[in-house]
Amino acid sequence: MLTGLDIAGDTPLHRASARLKLILLFLAAVALFLVHSPWALAAAAIIAVGLYASTGIAPGEAVRRVRFVLFTVLLVAVANYIFHSLDDALAVLFRLGALVLLAAAVTATTTISAFMDEITRLLRPLERFGFVRAADVSLAVGLVLRFVPEILARYGDIREAHRARGLRVRPLGVLVPLIILTLKDADTIAMAIDARAFRRQ
Amino acid sequence: MSTRDLVLVALFAAIIVALGLVPPFTLGFIPVPITAQSLGVMLAGCILGARRGAAAVLLVLLLVVIGLPVLSGGRGGLAVFVGPTAGYLAGWVAGAFVTGLIAERLVRETQPELAQFLGFLAAAIVGGIGVVYLFGIAWLSYSSGKAFMEIAMASLIFIPGDLIKAFIAMLAGRAVLAGYPLLPART
Repeated sequence: MLTGLDIAGDTPLHRASARLKLILLFLAAVALFLVHSPWALAAAAIIAVGLYASTGIAPGEAVRRVRFVLFTVLLVAVANYIFHSLDDALAVLFRLGALVLLAAAVTATTTISAFMDEITRLLRPLERFGFVRAADVSLAVGLVLRFVPEILARYGDIREAHRARGLRVRPLGVLVPLIILTLKDADTIAMAIDARAFRRQ
Repeated sequence: MSTRDLVLVALFAAIIVALGLVPPFTLGFIPVPITAQSLGVMLAGCILGARRGAAAVLLVLLLVVIGLPVLSGGRGGLAVFVGPTAGYLAGWVAGAFVTGLIAERLVRETQPELAQFLGFLAAAIVGGIGVVYLFGIAWLSYSSGKAFMEIAMASLIFIPGDLIKAFIAMLAGRAVLAGYPLLPART
């Protein structure tokens, strides 16, 4: 039900390591905020469009993914135009637009397991100090993916139970039983995890 | 963190993800959608407390980072962390923590109902609105160039909607405390 946003492919961006892409994205973000010329930022935006298109993503899907964030960028740019100048508006538009597209390109070309590997590596120093265990993070991610469909099914059941009794379906009437029923499963699930010694403590 | 805490965190993160699948609505011309997910942030603090609540929200954001479309409207990926509203996402973690911190201090299972209601309401408003807006507006102002005052003011349009959510979080927090108490007490 929940599938990742990565697109299968073999472009240069696909072949680059997740770490390299994340470092480059970070550097691009810093650089874009240091530049103020609308023309230089426009060039960066064009490059970002090219990189995003080079991931081999279908045009319709490409637009659908970034349209909401780009819409917020556009609103911010319009506010800058109304209250300040066209130059300010264009700078914001191209800066944030470029950044959003670059980030979307990294997401489209990096698999979930590549991201998880990178996060596990980043957590290693924290693990040494006993803050968090990388294996726990992967386990938690797996649990969420496992239980989202379950919770949605339960949500549907509770709504039907309301309807069957002629009750109006209100947010609170659904939310409270949904939360209590879901969290009550925690003990059983925790026991099942410990019985299988998944955490090896 | 015990295995039970880990499971509670994961289950609550799954609830927040599920809340995002309820269709969102965008208010007026402001670039922030009104979603049940920010209600989930208040609830995480009110129900699980500071540490586990913040961990649940952090887990949802981790799923977004690794490229799962778990934010309302099927949004996800790194793009949402560089857009103008990214600060609100960072604020979610701190907001859930502060909500939990206040709820842990103010709310006791043995209190009369009214005191519990007021404790949860205060927690949801300070943590779920105050702290979230602090982070959200800070990034919005920094990223949005020179018009930051105007944009910061415009984002206050969402306060009434968020107050309604704080009220729902209060009612739901109290109901869950009565039905299946999980909130740790802190003195």
